[in-house]
Amino acid sequence: MDLDCRGMACPAPVVSVKRALETANGALRVLLDDGAPRENVRRFAEGRGYQVQEEVQDGAFALTITGAGAAAVAAPQAAVAKTGPAVMLIGTDRLGDGPEELGRLLMRNFIITLLDVAEVPDRMLFINTGVLLTAEGSEVLEALEKLGNRGVEVLSCGVCLDYFHKKELLKAGAVTNMFTIAESLTTARTVVRL
Amino acid sequence: MVNEGDYVVIFNSIHRVMEAEKLLKERRLSILLIPAPRALAADCGLAIRYGEEVRQEVEEVLTQAGLMPRESFRKQGEAFIKIEGE
Repeated sequence: MDLDCRGMACPAPVVSVKRALETANGALRVLLDDGAPRENVRRFAEGRGYQVQEEVQDGAFALTITGAGAAAVAAPQAAVAKTGPAVMLIGTDRLGDGPEELGRLLMRNFIITLLDVAEVPDRMLFINTGVLLTAEGSEVLEALEKLGNRGVEVLSCGVCLDYFHKKELLKAGAVTNMFTIAESLTTARTVVRL
Repeated sequence: MVNEGDYVVIFNSIHRVMEAEKLLKERRLSILLIPAPRALAADCGLAIRYGEEVRQEVEEVLTQAGLMPRESFRKQGEAFIKIEGE
């Protein structure tokens, strides 16, 4: 299977590779620009237990990703459980009940700390005031970009962005709709709700 | 979240670190409140990160406000080198 990720901005290459690996049979060959896309895809694939071989092709890099990956090894145990993504639903820009200021600080702290955690979610869904974390002015954009580079899909509710007049100001991940949110939650392997 | 050459300063209370952040943001200085890196055990678990380009201004503002950090570090390679503090 071949995938052309040249010209894509981060984290799109990692997200594309992740999706392709979920369905790929055998080797996956990816064309990538040098720099962050190449490094991020290599790190992502190796982190998941795949083997990566590199070659230069027409000024771009071709990465051949082979192996079963760690996810496939764990599959037999999960056979009885749901096999969908590990989802984190973030329905607020505050963590916990209490003073707003403290809650906002804790949420920022939480998202940045996820970068140091071994098992990150496959998908983070931001709804209601949660979308303030993915839009311009958020203090966690840098952390969300880094999570994206590790294969985390960052998705924000379009209606919510619209409500807060942030539709044009989304700065991390992509816009999603209620169908994807509902489907993600009902098929998820695990859901963590904040 | 801490890049090569960045400064990381730690305060001895959550109230001080929040006050410092507020003050620095009011001055539109490019700083970020981050969880204190695990290597730097801090009581409140929070730190302020900034780059060389704003260092002087950040430190002046904090000194004038009497909000000196408990400890200051600079990231070098994998290590945090202590610059000031107990």
